[in-house]
Amino acid sequence: MELYELSLYHLTEGLKAKKFSPEEVYESCKKRIDSCEENIHAFITRTDEIAKSQLQEDNSGILAGVPTVLKDNLCTKGIRTTAASKILGNWRPPYNASAWNYLRSAGAVLMGKVNMDEFAMGNTCGNSAFGATHNPNDLSRVPGGSSGGSAAAVSAGYVPFALGSDTGGSIRQPAAYCGVYGLKPTYGMVSRYGLISYGSSLDQIGPFARTVRDLQIVMSVIAHYDPMDSSCFREKNYDFTHHENVSIKGKKVALVKEFQDFTLDPAIERAMKKTQEILQEEGAELVEVSLPVVSKYAVACYYALAMSEAHTNLERYDGVRLGYTVKDAAGIKEMFERVRSYGFGPEVKSRIIAGTCLTEPERCEQYYVAATKVRTLIAQEFTKAFTQTDFILQPASPEMPPLIGSQDDDAMKGYQADLYTLPVNLAGLPGLSFFTGYYGDLPVGLQLIGPRWSDPAILEAGLVIERHTGTPEIANEGVK
Amino acid sequence: MSELTFTPVIGIEIHIRLKSDSKIFCSCSTNTDAPANTNICPVCMGLPGSLPHLNHRVVEQGMLAGMALNCGIRPKSLFFRKSYFYPDLPKGHQISQCDLPITTSGYIEVHDSEGNLKKIRVHHLHLEEDVGSLHHSASDGRLEGADTSYVDYNRSGTPLAEIVSEPDVASAAEAVEYVTTLRRRVIYSGASDVELEKGMMRFDANVSMKCSDGRWGRKVEVKNMNSFKALERAIEYEIKRQKKIMLSGGEVIQETRHWNDSKGVTTGSRLKEFYRKFIVEPDLPPLYISQEWVNRVRARMPEMPDVRANRYVSEMNLPREVADFITDDKNLADYFESCVKAGANPVRAAHWVRTEVLRVMNEKQLKIQNFMITPEVLAGLVNRVDEGKLSTTQGKEVFDYMCANNCGVDEAVKNLGITEGGVAGSALDEIIKSVLAANPDVLNEIKSGLDKKGKKLKFLQGLVMKESKGQAKPQEVAEAIANAVK
Repeated sequence: MELYELSLYHLTEGLKAKKFSPEEVYESCKKRIDSCEENIHAFITRTDEIAKSQLQEDNSGILAGVPTVLKDNLCTKGIRTTAASKILGNWRPPYNASAWNYLRSAGAVLMGKVNMDEFAMGNTCGNSAFGATHNPNDLSRVPGGSSGGSAAAVSAGYVPFALGSDTGGSIRQPAAYCGVYGLKPTYGMVSRYGLISYGSSLDQIGPFARTVRDLQIVMSVIAHYDPMDSSCFREKNYDFTHHENVSIKGKKVALVKEFQDFTLDPAIERAMKKTQEILQEEGAELVEVSLPVVSKYAVACYYALAMSEAHTNLERYDGVRLGYTVKDAAGIKEMFERVRSYGFGPEVKSRIIAGTCLTEPERCEQYYVAATKVRTLIAQEFTKAFTQTDFILQPASPEMPPLIGSQDDDAMKGYQADLYTLPVNLAGLPGLSFFTGYYGDLPVGLQLIGPRWSDPAILEAGLVIERHTGTPEIANEGVK
Repeated sequence: MSELTFTPVIGIEIHIRLKSDSKIFCSCSTNTDAPANTNICPVCMGLPGSLPHLNHRVVEQGMLAGMALNCGIRPKSLFFRKSYFYPDLPKGHQISQCDLPITTSGYIEVHDSEGNLKKIRVHHLHLEEDVGSLHHSASDGRLEGADTSYVDYNRSGTPLAEIVSEPDVASAAEAVEYVTTLRRRVIYSGASDVELEKGMMRFDANVSMKCSDGRWGRKVEVKNMNSFKALERAIEYEIKRQKKIMLSGGEVIQETRHWNDSKGVTTGSRLKEFYRKFIVEPDLPPLYISQEWVNRVRARMPEMPDVRANRYVSEMNLPREVADFITDDKNLADYFESCVKAGANPVRAAHWVRTEVLRVMNEKQLKIQNFMITPEVLAGLVNRVDEGKLSTTQGKEVFDYMCANNCGVDEAVKNLGITEGGVAGSALDEIIKSVLAANPDVLNEIKSGLDKKGKKLKFLQGLVMKESKGQAKPQEVAEAIANAVK
């Protein structure tokens, strides 16, 4: 077995016991990346040399010497950070995202910054100024998005874990498409400081890994109070260490009544059935909850809010202080227009325009304000549902990963596909995307949702399911 | 046909820099005089990924300022994003409490044209961040047409309070009294130093006119006034301009006009006003203020100037005019009160502060906080004069000496060669003796009863006073000479 194939847990144990050296781990991962990257194209910026120098630092943290990659919307001091947009040019942030600081302090080393949909807007990883990333399980298919680079990197064995961000499903859907585990933590569980904002009230940083235990390890490092993020208001510590003798006996797991009429890909349908059997076998009780507002209005509500917030978050890209700029504009107005016209890609532009329209004084009440009210109803609906159940089981996506380029003309179809993931962001809930097995050559993932701050419990439930499904294999399609 | 009359309807918006060592949403220093772009960080530069976090000290300053305007503190307020594009605004939006402010519904009292007290209602005071400052290479110092412009973000994120009045102001004079009183009260509260020369107070005025024939003119927003004088002139100009339009049967258009201080006119904006919209700032949770917090801040609230002036009148017997004068400047009033606390007679102390202290302050361009004579020392001097140990003239001499030489009363007295308590007793007798001995003719004239009008006696008294270097008491001298010539 090659070192790059090891799970994060086994890697840290092996490093601790000095069974192998951090340099050997680094070389193994680097070699793996070299052998696949041409076909997968997960990276925007590789930082092999930086990782090498980080290895020289004395560190005895729990991630000491573990290679990782970050979605390219996480700021890294002195290292180009693009959010997959032309508008950021060669910007090198003067500071680190807090989540990366925590990983770095624990000893992780950075192999690079990975691809995403521009400003995290999209669910294919195809809306990138740096080209599309390919699914390591089937190169003709998308890895999902927007954190497609992170999911692909973990799936292809580049690194044992990666960070992504999830605004409406951007961790959970690519995790399912690539056959890895991904956690969208409770809003406020992980500091967003240094995460380039898309929809600030929905964005959350979370980990990808190939085992649930590995997610626990990463969460134990990044779930950290940070005064720099006012929405990060955790007052107590969460325990991510339980992994032995965990059980879901007596727990209730619900299906959403209103979702039962929606069509699912047969592979996902089958995975849902299989998972229900596993849950029952483990002594969980299957129940049903009703989420009428969610099923009817969540998609519209989500996009109204996300686009409204996004267009103000993107106002700062004006060419004045950083990134792409023009030097020969006749005046300031022309400068703004040219910078933004050239710098933003089409999907970002359409969301800026939509967000601007949704918050115009004459429409604001009808759309933006209405959406904030619907959001409150959605949160209340979930709160009520979680008095009747401990978890909710549902797909991470209604479909299997589509072929690259197949969705480009139908943005609305893409938006609708997020119905299973985005209500979780609206309510600030944690959601685990977990591996259930393969359908043909493609992995199939599902999603487990819990009430706010139940992240440790969700991961423990994930451990129970993982005992039945086994862990995903490293995807080899990218190998030249 | 009777003559048409016009009533101005004026609302005033004021921006005040709140006093705080650090910025409103980050921990950068608020020192804007530092070299350009040295007090900056990812937050106040609006760098991608940075998030604001609210400085609670600034919240308390906002609460104090609101209390000074008789506003109530709201238990819950929100922050919004106010969007517009400009190079000095790093995020493309300003974080402002515009729609759900921290304090509301206050008032400031002013005098109307007939001298009666009237209330100008304060709609609200809200917190917001300031923008950076622009420096243009164009000859006229404007952005348009400049070859190159530079942005200094030191000011970006410094805390501001925006104070919005109801349209209760009816004249330029009322406007000036409103902002003057408001400023004084805010300084008293400690919320801001409101140093006008440092641009810590900026004004906009909404001016419209009501005509006696029932016509209402549209509202015109006049911007860009940075001094009381500019506010007064801009309002006067705008009232005249609108009146003229309405008299000629024209219509005032609703617009934003800029005050041009050097030309003394308002001009319509060449640029269309930037389109603004508000969404809730998702990176800041609602600001909740408990009654307990309000109480704690209220306990820090000092006596307001009008209350203080009333106390000076009723408890210290200061004339109203003197009390108003001294309380106008909080620091001066603090100095005065320390002087009284140290034992000086209030009326005498007030007189000294108003005349001597202010004179030297003006001469030396000093602030009272940096005045070389402490109020306690001044109290000592005032008392010595009061007790007759020093004459008023001597007191002033001592005061000037102390100012010039930075020394105490005793040292000044000694170095000036003043004998405290004056020349009296045997010392005085000695002088008289020698004066009489030197003027036997005069003495004889008096003794023979020729000095009917007492002129000769006065002459001798004058000589004695001169010999004593003015340190003898005239009364005592007169008595002693009268005795000596009997």
